[in-house]
Amino acid sequence: MQSPDAAAPLGPGRVMNDARANFAPNDPPGEWHSQARDYANTRYSPLDQITAANVAKLRIAWSFSDGTSNGHEAAPLVVGDTMYLVTPFPNLAYALDLGKPGAPIKWSYDPKPTPLAIGKACCDTVNRGATVVDGKLIYNLLDDHTIALDAGTGKELWRTKMGDVTTGVTMTMAPFAVGNKVYVGNSGGELGVWGWLAALDVKTGKELWRAHSSGTDKDVLIGPDFKPFYAWMKGRDLGKTTWPAGMWKTGAGAVWGWVSYDPETNLIYYGTSNPGPRVPSQRPGYNLWTSAIFARDATTGEAKWAYQFTPHDQWDYDGVNENVLLDLTIDGKPRKVLVHFDRNAFAYTLDRTTGEVLSAKPFAYQNWSHGIDLKTGMPKVVAEMQPKPNVKLSNVCPPDIGGKDWQPAAFSPHTGLVYAGIFNLCMNVTDHPQSYIPGTPYDGMEMTRHSASGPKGNWGEFMAWDPVAGKKAWTIKEQFMVMSGALATAGDVVFYGTVDGWFRAVDARSGKVLWSQKLSSGIIAQPMTYLGPDKRQYVAVYSGVGGAAMVSSAQPGFPPRGGVLYVFSIDGDSPHSAPGMLTTEGTAPALRSTGGKP
Amino acid sequence: MNMWRVLRDNDVHMRIVPMATGESRRAAAMLTLAACTMLIAGCGRDHGGSTAPAPSQPDPSAEVITSVPLGPVAGAAQSTLATRLPNPYSNDAQAVQQGQDLYIKMNCAGCHGYGAKGGMGPNLTDGYWRYGGVPASIFNSIYQGRPQGMPAWNPALPTQDIWKIVAYIQSLGGSYPAHLYQAWMQGDKPGDVVPGDVAGTVPPGTSNSSVPEPKASPAKPQSAPAVNDVAPAPGTGK
Amino acid sequence: MSYLRTYGPAGDPGTRLGWGLGIVSIIVMAVITLLLLGAILRRRARQGDPRALAVQRDEGGMAWLYIGVGVSAVVVVGCVIWTMFTVAAIAMPARTDLTVQVTGAQWWWSVRYQNDDPSRIFTAANEIHIPVGRPVRIELLSHDVIHSFWIPRLGGKMDVIPGQTNVTWLQADKPGVYRGQCGEYCGAQHAHMSMYVIADMPQDYLNWTRNQLQDAVAPDSMATRNGQQAFLAHCAVCHAVRGTPAGGILGPDLTHLMSRRTIAAGMLPNTPGNLAAWVADSQALKPGSQMPALALSGPDLSAVMTYLQTLR
Repeated sequence: MQSPDAAAPLGPGRVMNDARANFAPNDPPGEWHSQARDYANTRYSPLDQITAANVAKLRIAWSFSDGTSNGHEAAPLVVGDTMYLVTPFPNLAYALDLGKPGAPIKWSYDPKPTPLAIGKACCDTVNRGATVVDGKLIYNLLDDHTIALDAGTGKELWRTKMGDVTTGVTMTMAPFAVGNKVYVGNSGGELGVWGWLAALDVKTGKELWRAHSSGTDKDVLIGPDFKPFYAWMKGRDLGKTTWPAGMWKTGAGAVWGWVSYDPETNLIYYGTSNPGPRVPSQRPGYNLWTSAIFARDATTGEAKWAYQFTPHDQWDYDGVNENVLLDLTIDGKPRKVLVHFDRNAFAYTLDRTTGEVLSAKPFAYQNWSHGIDLKTGMPKVVAEMQPKPNVKLSNVCPPDIGGKDWQPAAFSPHTGLVYAGIFNLCMNVTDHPQSYIPGTPYDGMEMTRHSASGPKGNWGEFMAWDPVAGKKAWTIKEQFMVMSGALATAGDVVFYGTVDGWFRAVDARSGKVLWSQKLSSGIIAQPMTYLGPDKRQYVAVYSGVGGAAMVSSAQPGFPPRGGVLYVFSIDGDSPHSAPGMLTTEGTAPALRSTGGKP
Repeated sequence: MNMWRVLRDNDVHMRIVPMATGESRRAAAMLTLAACTMLIAGCGRDHGGSTAPAPSQPDPSAEVITSVPLGPVAGAAQSTLATRLPNPYSNDAQAVQQGQDLYIKMNCAGCHGYGAKGGMGPNLTDGYWRYGGVPASIFNSIYQGRPQGMPAWNPALPTQDIWKIVAYIQSLGGSYPAHLYQAWMQGDKPGDVVPGDVAGTVPPGTSNSSVPEPKASPAKPQSAPAVNDVAPAPGTGK
Repeated sequence: MSYLRTYGPAGDPGTRLGWGLGIVSIIVMAVITLLLLGAILRRRARQGDPRALAVQRDEGGMAWLYIGVGVSAVVVVGCVIWTMFTVAAIAMPARTDLTVQVTGAQWWWSVRYQNDDPSRIFTAANEIHIPVGRPVRIELLSHDVIHSFWIPRLGGKMDVIPGQTNVTWLQADKPGVYRGQCGEYCGAQHAHMSMYVIADMPQDYLNWTRNQLQDAVAPDSMATRNGQQAFLAHCAVCHAVRGTPAGGILGPDLTHLMSRRTIAAGMLPNTPGNLAAWVADSQALKPGSQMPALALSGPDLSAVMTYLQTLR
């Protein structure tokens, strides 16, 4: 399954480069408090019981069906001996008691969001998870409420209304907490919403500030401290003047992805979605600040710098994918960078203090550009690949869902590599100019997607990326999309799942697949690992296909929906799986003599 | 409401206008203005501006249509007269074309897909209808919206336009003829053979409608309806 | 609508050529007529000779042929050269000061004012404002069938073809209002698909642009607020009013409706009476138009009218 064009895999004990990450807030090694585990978004666990040597013995220890069946994209959280789950709509929350046999429900909570939200969510009623901070489980409801539950009791502590769902605003992203603030953003890039990221007070849920992705500098929280690296992003009110009159108000730039935080500079980093409508001829201009990244002061929300990945995004490439904060040496100089695999199929390494693009190399097949000009930061767009209204354009690569979608990457300091599930896709697209009708799609892209490698070609891939060299260390081709998050561990085993339901463990250095388990539904969730109360290392992942993976639902073998959490351990052991958990009262003498197992 | 009548009468004045030129056109316009003013002044009803349905053709009135039950509530809903209302535009090729245009221009395709095979919203071609698959039910779903995010298109779209969209949906073959409301409720597919009069769900010749209905395609096993609350979403993962 | 006199360099050479060729044709016709008459008279003069054959060959006379062909050739070649110069003269100028994208639809014209600064791009309908004395590039698109863009006093026709962008230009040297008309039969209301080009003095043009770039005025009274609500409920899926949630692109952008002289693509003067009649039943005025019979109630019609009149 190794791709021939990949560089030589790492040998045992070798490190590809000197990449390092800050693992703040340094939660207890066996716990997992936020979706990315740390501020830098590494999704790296220091647990090392499961290694290349024993991973083949992974078996299911227990499982849990949450009773919902739409796309499951979240990772479970573990704090102490409790596991927290949130489901897709209707956004139920569960606390499971890991100290008891079979991890029974400690409490559950039904926030009862309005069913109206179902029809306003562009791409399934997903939820990308919760965060635990200050004894509270905080997550977003599809109908635009952020809620905080008492992590001990499941009692609702506060509920803040963030938007009007009837106009097409929904919320699917995972809140990101730093100290006494929690950051949340909206979804609805296909419905002409006005994108924003807001900071709420963890204690009360009170909104502290809200930064929009378009509009005047005041709307965007751009002040005197704003210093973008490139000249074309400097100027007054660019969030308004790079749009035809008035169109910025329905210009999307939703914030439905991930937030990172650098404690040294007190900056948060996050991306914004595609501009609306998706038909570019309706909105000449760069359409700032859509399909872009912001660095903001975590306290005040003031923007420090920004960079637009895809100016005047014509293909729905967004800029919401995760930003992994790393420190590495480039051309002999130590640089503080962020690594971002954009949907536009380029892997960007940006100087995270200035917003300068240090490198931008394609990680998936693309034909929309001749590359990124590092002097200006501008992509060199291929003219023939620009859609025109009512004209069918074939084989645009990558398609709207990108060379990689929101599914986050993982970083291992043991190898210096970044691991990510990616796509190998193209689209045929016809643009239909759209009316803005509140609460309906402001979209206009008629599309079909197919493998970039021909009719029988693979749709997915799992890769290890060397952020210093800007190339793949190894890659694994998958027939189905790889739309799960990645998990890296100190045991040098990396985990991912496929849309057809295979959960795999891979050698972090060589890329060798060491173990695979077929689960009940497809996997588009984020795997995580934790230490149980019995000090055993477990690996957990949701199985429940949905979301953008449904673009491949016509593939033969595409699994049905589901909603089951699987928890694995070596040999499937848990304190409660040993013989003799219950006494059996037999009556037949033969049974009695053999001790009869249940 | 006799404002209707005023409007119709008003029409008669207005129809003079296109053939008029210059002076006489101005005269006609003034006449119209006068008529409108009378109309405005003469109508005592004040309902805040948005709720009154106002069909301007003598097609099945929207008020009757909205009495179509939402679905098999408690299993007792009868097929009322309203459920059997035929679509005045059934089998009208031009109306089907206009309905398809509206389907795309009114952003229906954004949710239900180009080709109506589903997306954010349900598939409209597969014979599975959460809220009823006879023309009157489909009309009603568009007219007043549905609870899982389907917007109400009254009063944005005139009733004739809604009927044209219904005609387009009927042309896709997944709907039920007007007289088969009961069949839909009981899960029978158009074309199913119902033994004897046991169920009496698809009684032949019960249609009191002389309007020919499009022949709905028999359900195919592979198009078994997605019974999920949310249809598969070929969207982009947000 | 007369094309016998034009008011700009996109039209003038063509008009001069038209007049010129017309005059040349008349002269040619007159000369030929005279020669023909002369010939007829001369033929009659010889009729007296009874021995004459029915047809006989004159001596000489070849000179007439040479002169005739020679003169004709000079005139024809002269006309060809003139025509070629004219075609060159009305070709797209190297530099235009403004680009306007005009989209023909059954049966009206959408007009989008392009600009290198995207925030100065806006859309209006059925009226093209241009600064006087400046060449304006016109990009022509069709929403449905073939139309033809024709402002007789400013230049020739250019077809408007679906799936293709045709480009023409115009320039008005005198301020004023120039009527235009769809020049290609495009359906039942083809005759009611007109527009106006309004050539403004530079300062007027700037003021007009500035006003067009403004969002619609926010309602400031109970009546206009109710009116806006009624408009949003009944009209907004097809019509846009910038600054409100109304974002329809199927009908004309109404952000500054009251700044226009006419409604329904030049069909009626934009008076409150006509507007009310149009909103009340557009199908009676322009049968077959895409604007449906809304059948608004009296209060709704009154509310919508109140709101529309704030859109200055």
